[in-house]
Amino acid sequence: MSDRGDDGRRDSDAPSLEERNTQAGAKLGDRRVRIVRPAAGEFRRRGGHYVATPRVDAAESGLGRVYETARRILFGARLTSEEEAGERLSKKTGLAIMASDNISSSAYATEEAMRVLAFAGGAALALTTPIAIAVCVVLAVVILSESRVIRAYPNGGGSYIVAKDNHGVVPGLIAAAALLIDYVLTVAVSSAAGVAAISSFIPAVHDHRVLWSLGLIALLTIGNLRGIREAGVIFAAPTYVYVLSLVGLIGYGLFRIASGDMPVAVAPRDAFEPEGIEALTALLVLRAFASGSVGLTGSEAIANGVPNFKPPESRNAVITLVWMGAIFATLFLGLTYLATRIGIAPDQSELETVNSMLTRSLVGDGTPFYYLVQISTAIILLLAANTGFSGFPRLASVLADDRFMPRQFAFRGERLAFSFGIVALALMSAAVLSAFHGSVTELVPLYTIGVFVAFTLSQSGLVRRWWRLRNPGWRLSMVINTFGTLVTGTVLVVVAVTKFAFGAWMVLIVMPILVGLLFAINRHYRTVHDALLLDRPDEPIPVLKPPVVIIPVARLDRATLQAVAFARSISPSVRAVHIATTAESAEEFARRWRGWTTEVPLDVIESPYRSLLQPLLRYIERIDERDDRPITVVLAEFVPRNWWEWILHSQTALRLKLSLLFRPNTIVIDVPYHSEDTGHGVAPRGPEDPPR
Amino acid sequence: MQLKRILVPLAGTSVDVEVIRVAVALGKPTKAEIVAIHVIEVRWNLPLDAVLEPESERGEGVLDDAMKIAEAAGSHIETELVQAREAAAAIIDTARDRKSDLIVLGMPFRKRLGRVYVGKTVQGVYVGAQCAVLAYRQEETR
Repeated sequence: MSDRGDDGRRDSDAPSLEERNTQAGAKLGDRRVRIVRPAAGEFRRRGGHYVATPRVDAAESGLGRVYETARRILFGARLTSEEEAGERLSKKTGLAIMASDNISSSAYATEEAMRVLAFAGGAALALTTPIAIAVCVVLAVVILSESRVIRAYPNGGGSYIVAKDNHGVVPGLIAAAALLIDYVLTVAVSSAAGVAAISSFIPAVHDHRVLWSLGLIALLTIGNLRGIREAGVIFAAPTYVYVLSLVGLIGYGLFRIASGDMPVAVAPRDAFEPEGIEALTALLVLRAFASGSVGLTGSEAIANGVPNFKPPESRNAVITLVWMGAIFATLFLGLTYLATRIGIAPDQSELETVNSMLTRSLVGDGTPFYYLVQISTAIILLLAANTGFSGFPRLASVLADDRFMPRQFAFRGERLAFSFGIVALALMSAAVLSAFHGSVTELVPLYTIGVFVAFTLSQSGLVRRWWRLRNPGWRLSMVINTFGTLVTGTVLVVVAVTKFAFGAWMVLIVMPILVGLLFAINRHYRTVHDALLLDRPDEPIPVLKPPVVIIPVARLDRATLQAVAFARSISPSVRAVHIATTAESAEEFARRWRGWTTEVPLDVIESPYRSLLQPLLRYIERIDERDDRPITVVLAEFVPRNWWEWILHSQTALRLKLSLLFRPNTIVIDVPYHSEDTGHGVAPRGPEDPPR
Repeated sequence: MQLKRILVPLAGTSVDVEVIRVAVALGKPTKAEIVAIHVIEVRWNLPLDAVLEPESERGEGVLDDAMKIAEAAGSHIETELVQAREAAAAIIDTARDRKSDLIVLGMPFRKRLGRVYVGKTVQGVYVGAQCAVLAYRQEETR
């Protein structure tokens, strides 16, 4: 639409979506210009450019329409880029989507701390409550520090951006790698924990827990490919059901204890040794704290996804963050207190969760309230996995924008979701989950390290930022973030040391590998960018000599004729080459060619071993060596009417194209010949011509 | 009269919707070919075939909307975008070239001091057209 001169006239005969025909009128001077728009309805003008309408994306074939309908049912209708603002989250849906990871940790944080303490015997379980209090104190510090991150970086990006801005690229990438790993583990752990909640009341599920977990990941993948707002709408209600049912359970439990009606604890089916198998050492207590601090995960998701909120984004994100912390602390402390007070012990074989046993002790087995708690627990754990789905694709897109991850991660799909990141996350978490047999206890040691690496780097980054900028109120912010650095750094060391032997070493190995990979991707993109960059913005278009054109011909037919005609339209230097398998067929083809044309020279190569590609490629190489002009290979390719007819043809042109794809200084042009191109169908073929 | 071809000039005013509906209703019994046309009037200081982006964009919008209205009314229409010095002459010539039997014309009018004022295009088509002209009168809304 920019091919106009100063007077508004078109000044080139370049192809255009519209044609202008001047027509005479009845009277002299009544000429008119008819603007023919064959693409009307498919492309609309807007502000000097064309906009593709939904009709462009509409399927044309019957099969395509069936696929399109199925896709729409599964993923929803396409959204335009302008509709992004409508996809933003309110505080209510934001809490459901972004805080569910942290809130749902209350479903297993108590149990994970208890499972470590249980090695020291039943009496050691009394330490669970002080550990829970310590975890909540750390969470308060983290929330206070994260609220500073949100205020300082309202455009999101979280730990990666903060660390990169203030510490440099390497710490930024360490934070990013840590978070990416953590998001993968969030999905794996949460879906495994969700299945554990289900198997607590449907024991048959336990035997197929990996399959169930994979099914849940698939469900979440589809939900997220539909777009984040819709994912929030789907999942918001269960979050609030979980919170209310657990608050109700805790309130009821506290009332029974306060009124002297102490419930009888349900015993686990496979109990730990009552006397314990390990001494109650400081290291064991620290390990229990490290396991319990799994409840701190997910608090970074809000700071990372500030732009997902409706305006004012920062304020809404901070309010949601505070709500998240308050809800988690209430549930975690309440459940931990009740479990230890009533005397619930964890199940060694993970046959039933601590929360399930606690609920059964309080409200009885098989009551509707028991099922409400268990089902809402399972669902919120799924939602927690959803936090990974909202965090990973967004972080990956930020990294892709900075050229540390493949560009596909930055593309938004038809529903404005980062489809590539969502699918990649689903595949990776499914692989991790399968490798660890869907066991929460096996997965938890890998968890939390990444998030504390990211926390520590972002907190310390902010300390440097406050010191550097010295904005009003910088002293208070610096004190808060210094304290946050110390606390999260200490927790990181504790988690890394105590969980190292139990699987944390894997994360510590994978993290630097991932950082290296991100660097390698960035190096590649920088190299490509440097190679493609124009020296000047007004760089003149180079004048090229017409290329040397080689046309491999299999036979003399309409497809060949069309390819030769095209080749002659781009260069006067055209040469055909034919590979024959016998001397007789070579002579016969040369004779027929001479009979057809003498204007295009032909080289016939006899290939006694019947190989086709190698002689052709070698021939092209030798021609190329003798000429400095770019070499162009024009391929005549017959395209059958129906897709299934493809298998009846040998696809020589396709194989040749693939062979030449990476050859430097070589242009490959495909001249497709469709059977309906001339209306005559395929050219008659002699009995000696084998099918293509 | 057996209607085979109907021409519907559209100016992008509020009366367009009703004009298309009327044309569709008239053409349906005889399955008449309906063509909606929008004429961009080109100022004399510009070449006739000048590319006028905002006007073309608006014209395409008017015609695309017309197609949607017709589809909603159960009919398919053709559209044509034309540039001319005077809309009336272009409409008359197009009707002649397309051998239209009827021109269905929107006639938005304004009342000033109790008198009805009609635009020059409506008057020009009324006077110059060689086929039947049906004017759909509707007071212009502001």
